[in-house]
Amino acid sequence: AAAAPGKKITARLKRTLPVRGPQAPTLSELMRWYCLNTNTHGCRRIVVSRGRLRRLLWIVLTLSAVGLILWQCAELLMNYYSASVSVTVQFQKLPFPAVTICNINPYKYSAMKEYLYELDKETKKALETFYGFSEGKSKVRRSVDDWNSTGSDFFEQIPLLKVEDFSRTATELHSGQKRKIEGSVFHKDSSIVNSGDSNDIIGFQLCDANNSSECALYTFSSGVNAIQEWYKLHYMNIMAQIPLEIKEKLSYSAEDLLLTCFFDGLSCDKRHFTRFHHPLHGNCYTFNSGESGTILSTSTGGSEYGLQVVLYIDEADYNPFLVTSTGAKIMVHDQNEYPFIEDIGTEIETAAATSIGMHFTQSRKLSKPYSDCTETGADIPVENLYNKSYSLQICLHSCFQKAMVESCGCAQYAQPLPAGAEYCNYKKNPNWMYCYYRLHEKFVKEQLGCQQICKDACSFKEWALTTSIAQWPSVVSEDWMLRVLSWDKGQKLNKKLNKTDLANLMVFYKDLNERFISENPANTLVILLSNFGGQLGLWMSCSVVCVIEIVEVFFIDSLSIVLRRQWQRAKKWWSGRQQGRAAQATASDVERQGHENPACIDEDLPTFTTALRLPLPQDSPLPRTPPPNYSTLRLETAFTEQLPDTLELSQH
Amino acid sequence: MNLKKYLVRALHRLQKGPGYTYKELLVWYCDNTNTHGPKRIIKEGPKKKLIWFFLTLLFASLVFWQWGILINTYLSYNVTSSLSIGFKTMKFPAVTICNANPFKYSEVKPLLKELDRLIEAALERILQPTPGNSTENMSLPLDLELWNQIPLVLIDEHDKDNPIILDIFETNQTAVDNETAMDSRANKKYKLAVKLCSHQGSENCTYRNFSSAAQAVTEWYILQSTSILSKVPLHERIRMGYQAEDMILACLYGAEPCNYKNFTQIYHPDHGNCYIFNWGMDEEALNSSNPGAEFGLKLILDISQQDYIPYLSSAAGARLMLHQQKSFPFLKDQGIYAMAGTETSIGVLVDELERMGYPYSDCTVNGSDVPVRNLYSQYNTSYSIQACLRSCFQTHMVEICGCGHYMFPLPEGVNYCNNEDNPGWAYCYSSLRSSIKQRQICIDSCKETCNDTQYKMTISMADWPSEASEDWIFHILSYERDMSTNVTLDRNGIIKLNIYFQEYNYRTISESAATTIVWLLSSLGGQFGFWMGGSVLCLIEFGEIIIDSLWITIINVISWCKGLKQRRARARFPDSPPTVSELVEAHTNLGFQPEPVGAVPGAPALPPEPGTPPPNYDSLRVQPLDTLGPESDAD
Repeated sequence: AAAAPGKKITARLKRTLPVRGPQAPTLSELMRWYCLNTNTHGCRRIVVSRGRLRRLLWIVLTLSAVGLILWQCAELLMNYYSASVSVTVQFQKLPFPAVTICNINPYKYSAMKEYLYELDKETKKALETFYGFSEGKSKVRRSVDDWNSTGSDFFEQIPLLKVEDFSRTATELHSGQKRKIEGSVFHKDSSIVNSGDSNDIIGFQLCDANNSSECALYTFSSGVNAIQEWYKLHYMNIMAQIPLEIKEKLSYSAEDLLLTCFFDGLSCDKRHFTRFHHPLHGNCYTFNSGESGTILSTSTGGSEYGLQVVLYIDEADYNPFLVTSTGAKIMVHDQNEYPFIEDIGTEIETAAATSIGMHFTQSRKLSKPYSDCTETGADIPVENLYNKSYSLQICLHSCFQKAMVESCGCAQYAQPLPAGAEYCNYKKNPNWMYCYYRLHEKFVKEQLGCQQICKDACSFKEWALTTSIAQWPSVVSEDWMLRVLSWDKGQKLNKKLNKTDLANLMVFYKDLNERFISENPANTLVILLSNFGGQLGLWMSCSVVCVIEIVEVFFIDSLSIVLRRQWQRAKKWWSGRQQGRAAQATASDVERQGHENPACIDEDLPTFTTALRLPLPQDSPLPRTPPPNYSTLRLETAFTEQLPDTLELSQH
Repeated sequence: MNLKKYLVRALHRLQKGPGYTYKELLVWYCDNTNTHGPKRIIKEGPKKKLIWFFLTLLFASLVFWQWGILINTYLSYNVTSSLSIGFKTMKFPAVTICNANPFKYSEVKPLLKELDRLIEAALERILQPTPGNSTENMSLPLDLELWNQIPLVLIDEHDKDNPIILDIFETNQTAVDNETAMDSRANKKYKLAVKLCSHQGSENCTYRNFSSAAQAVTEWYILQSTSILSKVPLHERIRMGYQAEDMILACLYGAEPCNYKNFTQIYHPDHGNCYIFNWGMDEEALNSSNPGAEFGLKLILDISQQDYIPYLSSAAGARLMLHQQKSFPFLKDQGIYAMAGTETSIGVLVDELERMGYPYSDCTVNGSDVPVRNLYSQYNTSYSIQACLRSCFQTHMVEICGCGHYMFPLPEGVNYCNNEDNPGWAYCYSSLRSSIKQRQICIDSCKETCNDTQYKMTISMADWPSEASEDWIFHILSYERDMSTNVTLDRNGIIKLNIYFQEYNYRTISESAATTIVWLLSSLGGQFGFWMGGSVLCLIEFGEIIIDSLWITIINVISWCKGLKQRRARARFPDSPPTVSELVEAHTNLGFQPEPVGAVPGAPALPPEPGTPPPNYDSLRVQPLDTLGPESDAD
């Protein structure tokens, strides 16, 4: 009794929704039926056309239309992930960028004397030995008193060498000994290779401390480069040992650097600047760093409304070997960006007014799958060592530092420290310089894989700078200007400032037009589908309905026909084997079976018979009639539905 | 006549009753429509029928949803940009050249004499450790009236909460106080400030603080000199400025020589006399069809630095700007400096942005739709956002302070501000200038132009003249200018300029509409075609069916009303025989309406043959479809 309602429901379903099986008994008839009744154009022509040539022509046309559709749709799909660029210009109040200002010289030379005493002495000695150059002539005025004291060990380990290229011998700075060079020779400047008189090549040799036979010799075409590079190497070594707090004290304070400040028509002072310690440039000061929580903005363009500062560049206190140019370096950047001032800073001349007009452009790229860029850098397996938002530069530096810590065991001085590492210095890591140079070379040759890992950021802000210089102070205003500035500086009046110690800087927006360049997806799904529809419609007047039709006819119906035929064949074979009268099964029988669908699917067999009983006579004498039947039925369909009702009625 | 005919036809139709029912109509529609889905619904077996019904519904809703998206996209008026870079023959930009210093000091000295003496004395007082000697040295009494209009004051910030304000020339102030203050000046607790009062002697004063004395002095001097110079008539001011023949020593455009006469003089309030090359006001703008310095503009200028006003401008050099023809040069915004004693080479790339106007972006073509009156139109220049902002400021200034600022052009019937007539102008101006609200109003009311042209400059500099050539160059130039054999020029005044097009001289970003009406139609068609294989004709078909079904509704309603009337009548005469209309109804709608079928009295009396009724219906059905329809329409 429990199964009865279920059965009832299925029976009712079967009655109301009977399965009639495929539209035609055989494959060829199915095809014909399809062609006649499909919604796509072309196919009908094949069946309707008379004459073989015409039919062939229509087959070719239809097939080429299908081919065209497939080709064009593939093309549309392939171009789906393309971006279109839009540029918008907006005139509005603009946030003023952060402006980082550094003195080119990182630390006051007078304060650094005790740390650099040994190194300077060594350098001067080298100058004297190689160039026979005595101190009086040079600009190096700072005398080193203890001229005779012995140099420390580590200078001897990496001494400057005079190399004779052909004989492969080097003269050492201290002992004057000649010795044979082993290992590979690296030319820092490749141009010297073909220079004939390579007698006076100066360079230095870096050896692997564990394996002294493995050495790399670095030579330079000019002694200036050699000495600076050598000096820098030792200098970094010394600086790495000084703690940050002391270094900050050794460098310039805000009062030292900034004489006057003026922003947006109002006076400003050192409180508007944030100190930031740069390993190579010492104390730098960032105007409008956003650290106080507010970011200044300008609502008027023009030089009066930007930042105007007068910088005090104490030229007399410059390190003679480390930096050879005078002035300041500035960089305009976003508040969230780390200023790579050593890489992309702009240099500011002394005794001049540098006016920098800015034009703001913001760009945005689409990230995956449109292009290979990263939004936040979170998907890049390199830890961001800088406390700022992601940029390609940050990634490359962090990646190098990571590799450095991994292979050399200590961190490079110019980049921030990863957790748990410390800066390299010669006492603890005697091997680091060799390691560093090797690693750096690998990095430059893209062997470390950093360039492959790091992706560029998807959005970036750019301030295009137009820099121009005017003489400042002018001849006639020099006198009072210097006097007043000296008063500002609060110095004793007898020490008047020199104009080569001053630099005037103006940073302003040329106009408040913000250009925003952004990529947008050129295609959306809607447009893609419309394009598909356009293509399908143009060539064949086809739609998704046609596609479903094709699926229905070519897959479901033909498959069921094929299956049925196989089933019948199997059945026939079985019955033939059982009864031994296979010959009796005539071809007409097979056809009738196909037309009347008696053996289509076993389950539906009873429904079929019931369904077939009413419209069709029990035994149709002509099995070939049904196909025309369909077409006539089609005309009459509207009434066939009514038939059972009326019949029932009349029977009452 | 037509109307009458139509009405008659409509009446006939009404009297005849519905040709077919809703269901018939729908079936007919499904069978004959060109859209792909509906046909399937009626063609197949019940299961498939159901599936096709839902599929058709789904596709129809998909089509409408996506049409909505497409129309929304169209209405958002997106644009696509196309970029083109290259070299073509272009108009050479207009080049404005000014001296950083507005007037020759030798000419304006009589006007500024008092002011200079004042500031010198003040500086002496501020800077000198002992205040006594400086005042005694002054041979002439100082014009303190000028000073008192806008005085400079020292602010002693030893006591942060309670700053003491010291007037520099107030000699009455106790000397002891002063002296002790001076001693501790090394601690840098003093600040210089400009005292601005709304009226002279009034209490309503503000102190503009400056962190640097240099800045304070310059600012003060600018305020004072502005007031003095605003009283000088324009032709006099032009005379006091640098003359073209003194300033422009040599000029060469391409291979053609040019001279100062090729420059248009314009009086610029910031920089005095400015000279514009190729402004295009009187004659056609010059074209340049070759890249490189040889085909550009070469100039030699003299800025005569010795004749600068010492306190007004501390930077020395020429100020120049590249801009479009017929536009006003706003040198403070876009200008660059050229340093004396150098050769400055400027490679130019024209960066153009051509935008579509409303409704694609909010920009203005010629500024006529901007609510601010362009004061710069008196120069015959075109609209620009800078002009709009400045006009806006000046209008506000005139409204609030009652006089116009010297740096901007005047509206009619207004005078420039000066200390005598408008004693509080400096106070008013400085409060207006720092007012963020006023700026925002101007920013909001001004619109940028649709065609934005920028000149990207690649600037490089070299020392010029070289030491070896210095001698003869100065000799020749001095001779040409002053007809003297003496050298009247020096390194501090001479500037060489090369302005030329780069190898790629234009970069044009032009906008075009991303979505046009054609795009919209083809996308709509594509969507409809993709899901249902339909077209506009299909929509019309559908509309036709709706009209038809409306007709059916009307006819049904009418017949229902008739029926109601008759039933009432029948209630009065219950034994009345079946009416004509009832019979007609039976004929037309017998098989399709289940309700009347039950009420048909003759049904059991029909012959018991089940096969006969269908052909009856059949013929009926064929008639309304093919023959009846056109017939009824035809009469």
